[in-house]
Amino acid sequence: MIALPLHDLPTRSASGFLIRYVVPRTGPPQLVGPLDNKALFSNMSFGDVVIGVGHGEPNRFYGYRNQMLLDVSSIPDVRGKVVVLISCQTARQLGPALINAGAESYIGFLEDLVWVMDADSASNPWADKFAGSAMMPVVHCVNTILDGKVMADAFAVMTTEMLGNAAVEDDEVMVSCLRFNARNASLLGNPAARVRARPKVEFPIPPPPLLPYIT
Amino acid sequence: MTKEYEDLKESLRQPATPEAMREAAQRFREYERVDAALGKRSRPTLVSLGLGKTYPTEIDFRDVPRELETNPAFYEQMQKIMREG
Repeated sequence: MIALPLHDLPTRSASGFLIRYVVPRTGPPQLVGPLDNKALFSNMSFGDVVIGVGHGEPNRFYGYRNQMLLDVSSIPDVRGKVVVLISCQTARQLGPALINAGAESYIGFLEDLVWVMDADSASNPWADKFAGSAMMPVVHCVNTILDGKVMADAFAVMTTEMLGNAAVEDDEVMVSCLRFNARNASLLGNPAARVRARPKVEFPIPPPPLLPYIT
Repeated sequence: MTKEYEDLKESLRQPATPEAMREAAQRFREYERVDAALGKRSRPTLVSLGLGKTYPTEIDFRDVPRELETNPAFYEQMQKIMREG
């Protein structure tokens, strides 16, 4: 299961990088844009991994146009699954609740996930090299999971790359954002958890069409 | 680190009083002016995946000073972020 809303600049930026570099490796269900809704999310099989981009609060995770998808008071069957939420603050309550409900492992963030993007790249977000500094570590984390490696390795890939990018990034606000995100990243549950390895995809492949972003 | 960014970080060390918020807003204006002159990107925007905050999840750099000046929650959020830089 991969859930990728596209309704505003931050979801478009984050989902855009996963659409470009992760979705080709995943099977259905791929809930992208308007498909990332409560009805489909609640009724689809999660498989062995749940990867979600979306707005978040300590106890909730949201999908397209901020439909509530996950809440601590009504956790779906996540037993044995690996969960990655590219979202704000869900590591405070929702992440622990997912682990208590039987999820094998979880990666998310304790604080806001923040970065600088170029709003003029909203129609081809994967081409935004500034946002890439923050989002490619997330992409590499998810792809490490899909390589069949353990969650601890995936988590280390993400945080190490964020800090590495901060060391060479010349945009000062982005340096602060990268360090802030790395510091607030959280791995819960079994660090040795892993999922079935997916075939690798040779990049570059043609980028998918995205509807233009209209403000 | 540019002088403008150092000044911005320094201004954000103060508690969120109206004076401190005004000062941080002015420091960000100066940082943004220098950043814009470099022409690195056309429309830099600070974004986050939060929800239910008193500040927007996408703020054009040109609008950051207004938010810093008027919204203590955003000022405090910027304090947390800049502490890392």
